[in-house]
Amino acid sequence: MPKLRLRLRVNGEPYELEVEPHRTLLEVVRDDLHLTGAKEGCGTGDCGACSVIVDGRLVTSCLLLASEVNGADVLTIEGLAHDGRLHPLQQAFLDHGAVQCGFCTPGMILAAKCLLDRNPHPSEEEIRHAIVGNLCRCTGYTKIVQAIAAAAEGL
Amino acid sequence: MAQYRAVGRPTARVEGVGKVTGRTVYTADVDLPGMLYAKLLRSPHAHARIRRIDTARAAALEGVVAVVTAADLPPLDARRVASNRAYNLLAAQEVVFAGQPVVAVVARDPAAAEEALGLIEVEYEELPAVLDPLEALKEDSPLARSSLGDADRSESWAHAAVGVEEKEARGRPTNVASRLRFTRGDVEQGFAQADLVVERTYRTPVVHQGYIEPHATVVDYDAASGDMTIYTATQGQFFVRDEIARMFQLPETKVRVVGLELGGGFGGKMFLFQGLCAALALVVKKPVKLVLTRTEDLTGATPAPQAVFDLKTGTKRDGTLTALQARAVYDSGAFSGAAMAIGCVLLGGYYRCPNLEIEGFEVLTNKVSVGAYRAPAVPSATFAIDSQMDIIARELGLDPLEVRLKNAVQEGDPLPTETPYPRIGLRECLERVRDSDLWRQRDHLEREAGPRRRGVGVAAGGWLGGLQPAAASVMLNGDGTIGVLVGANDITGTNTSFAQIAAEELCLPVSQVRVSTGDTRMAPFAGMTAGSKTLFTVGRAVKAAAEDARRQILGTAAQRLEVPVEDLECADGVVRARSDAEKSITFRRLARITTDFGAAYPPVVGRGAIAARKQAPGFSVQAAEVEVDTETGRVRVLRYVTAQDVGFAINPLSVEGQMQGATAQGIGMGLYEEMVYGDGGQLLNPSLLDYRLPTAADVPNIETLIVEVPSEDGPYGARGVGEPPVVPTSAAIANAVHDAIGVRVTEIPITPERILRALGRVKD
Repeated sequence: MPKLRLRLRVNGEPYELEVEPHRTLLEVVRDDLHLTGAKEGCGTGDCGACSVIVDGRLVTSCLLLASEVNGADVLTIEGLAHDGRLHPLQQAFLDHGAVQCGFCTPGMILAAKCLLDRNPHPSEEEIRHAIVGNLCRCTGYTKIVQAIAAAAEGL
Repeated sequence: MAQYRAVGRPTARVEGVGKVTGRTVYTADVDLPGMLYAKLLRSPHAHARIRRIDTARAAALEGVVAVVTAADLPPLDARRVASNRAYNLLAAQEVVFAGQPVVAVVARDPAAAEEALGLIEVEYEELPAVLDPLEALKEDSPLARSSLGDADRSESWAHAAVGVEEKEARGRPTNVASRLRFTRGDVEQGFAQADLVVERTYRTPVVHQGYIEPHATVVDYDAASGDMTIYTATQGQFFVRDEIARMFQLPETKVRVVGLELGGGFGGKMFLFQGLCAALALVVKKPVKLVLTRTEDLTGATPAPQAVFDLKTGTKRDGTLTALQARAVYDSGAFSGAAMAIGCVLLGGYYRCPNLEIEGFEVLTNKVSVGAYRAPAVPSATFAIDSQMDIIARELGLDPLEVRLKNAVQEGDPLPTETPYPRIGLRECLERVRDSDLWRQRDHLEREAGPRRRGVGVAAGGWLGGLQPAAASVMLNGDGTIGVLVGANDITGTNTSFAQIAAEELCLPVSQVRVSTGDTRMAPFAGMTAGSKTLFTVGRAVKAAAEDARRQILGTAAQRLEVPVEDLECADGVVRARSDAEKSITFRRLARITTDFGAAYPPVVGRGAIAARKQAPGFSVQAAEVEVDTETGRVRVLRYVTAQDVGFAINPLSVEGQMQGATAQGIGMGLYEEMVYGDGGQLLNPSLLDYRLPTAADVPNIETLIVEVPSEDGPYGARGVGEPPVVPTSAAIANAVHDAIGVRVTEIPITPERILRALGRVKD
């Protein structure tokens, strides 16, 4: 199968890749770049575990072909902490017990980051709306909502 | 109450940093050199004979390494194959549910494996299928399987030590896999004494555990040495090891299971696809990875059983129960596995009743076979009995919470097995909810706004708690910090609690303790992380091991300081003589004199090994405030309170998280979740779009009320926490809906359609 040439910036690093045209952004990030923080929970965009941020927007990377984001700036969960210091959202998730099995956590934190980037002081309802596409089966969401609210307060 | 320094305090999860940074390795993240990828071709039919399989075109595809059918697999113990779903790696002659694996493709990349699936030809001869458990019970029903062997319940027993023998069905083959009967007193007499007799039928559907991580296994088989290493998402790595060794007749010295971090289990991840993946690795003699798609996981894992309950109760005017008669039918799917016994025990186990007759049937059908899901079989039974209790209260004009308090079991009251309860906290939970704002404010509720109606409901339920032996090691590291080694797979934050326990016993901050889950070759034995027993059993082993380490530390210190051991105390990593403040030694120094070259004292290695024999039942009482739109039928949960007797909350942060998460799952059961099967037995909603898990917008903030009635045997009095809080939720919601709209819905999930039918707005 002929491969496509692709340029991406991922977590600030430039990459030049050759990928088959059928491969998704999630597959490329996980298998080629070995950034396995983004998870595949459904492969159909329903669970949000594969969420990453592309040019400032939250996307379900299992639904995007890698070729569709040629030239884009991609942020995955691995790009959130800096110099070993956790992002306030990551710290808040830990402190508030918002992490249980952790499988939804990377996508959930990125969804929260997207929210706080555009709305630094969201209401509870706005928080819930922002993570409605990110399923969590462990926490019942209460502590996740509290963690995001606390991070917003601290930012 | 004793003053504790480490246990009882909210503590962030010790493994949490890797989870928020994306570094934690789950099974699907494992990538081994030379690893191949397996994909499965599944039966489109619920019941059929396999006439012919042609794999030639698939095998010829570039990148395909092997196309494997049942004929290519190592032969397995026929008795187990007949009865145990996990031993049915690939269907041989007969497929018994739609979605059953028939052919496996192993290829160099997943895309080639996927493409090859489309090139396989399987010719089926369809057989009569039975899909409804009540139909399957009938004398003239088709048999779900042409050969029905003795049931192997090695796994379902592990979830609930209920202390009853399920009677095997004998005589002519039927679809009844097992049945049981509990009787006490004389139900007819009980009904004769009653002022009110209520009869209802309740139905609950197949529901899925809904873990976000699909089943995943990587098997690394080295043909030269015969060593097999299994990386897998399991709640019970030792169980996987034992089963794999037994399945392929390998010595356990050759089988190493590495239970990686789990992306949720809820009972659904024990031992299921590891056997198939191992068999494929044995065939191709290379590492093989098998990760299910979401559709495969919904279609072909082990969801929770559909059930039908016929209940008849007799009650005095004051709400006292005089008789309970019940028939519970659990649909186990194509293989035995429904934990019917525990469902029946708890159906008659919450409320005192002098006259009891409970009959249970576990029935086979041509649906996917079921497994454990958080308090297996109990949320459905509780939906039935606690809906019934609410109807009784309404009919008698009594407060539903007071009716429960009047009948609630307490210490000494017998279960349907006649085993008496130990000390439990059901009444305390009822009282806590009675005193909650949500319950007290219900008389002042704005009940009507346009087409919307509000109501409040309460329900109770519990779980007896699992038991299994466990062991742990606690070691003094070279710098005076502490290492804890366990074999239990952590899903609920148990390793954090173990760190707290070790810190408590060794008088150190939690940050000075590191807990590791070793693989089955390294770690001391621990049972499955299931049955709400990990902290209850492994926690006790960790406590015993820490106490042992402490004895060794004090013993060595006593020799070194030349003081009697009774004179020593330890605090913050220092051992001191009470009688002489000059005499002290740090843990760090003790580590040196027990490990250095030429050191005079033996290393500190604490051992804890326990066999738990006494269950510590845990109860949860919950109240919901709901709003029902009588035009659309939509139900919204506005407020929710969950009370639970946890014995002692070692980590209140995790305990609250368990209570909230379980409650959200219960809201899913109550309002949204149902696996819908078509007439042909195919799952009609095999995606997370159509099988709807609750989202952040569906679930309100869940208020938690932690009740602490200490257990006899648990560490610091702790009880199992994970399961009880899912048990009463669907009943609480159904009761709140009734309170809102004045009519009863006896089937969950309470969908808009069912609401509108109950209101008479939609007719057949």
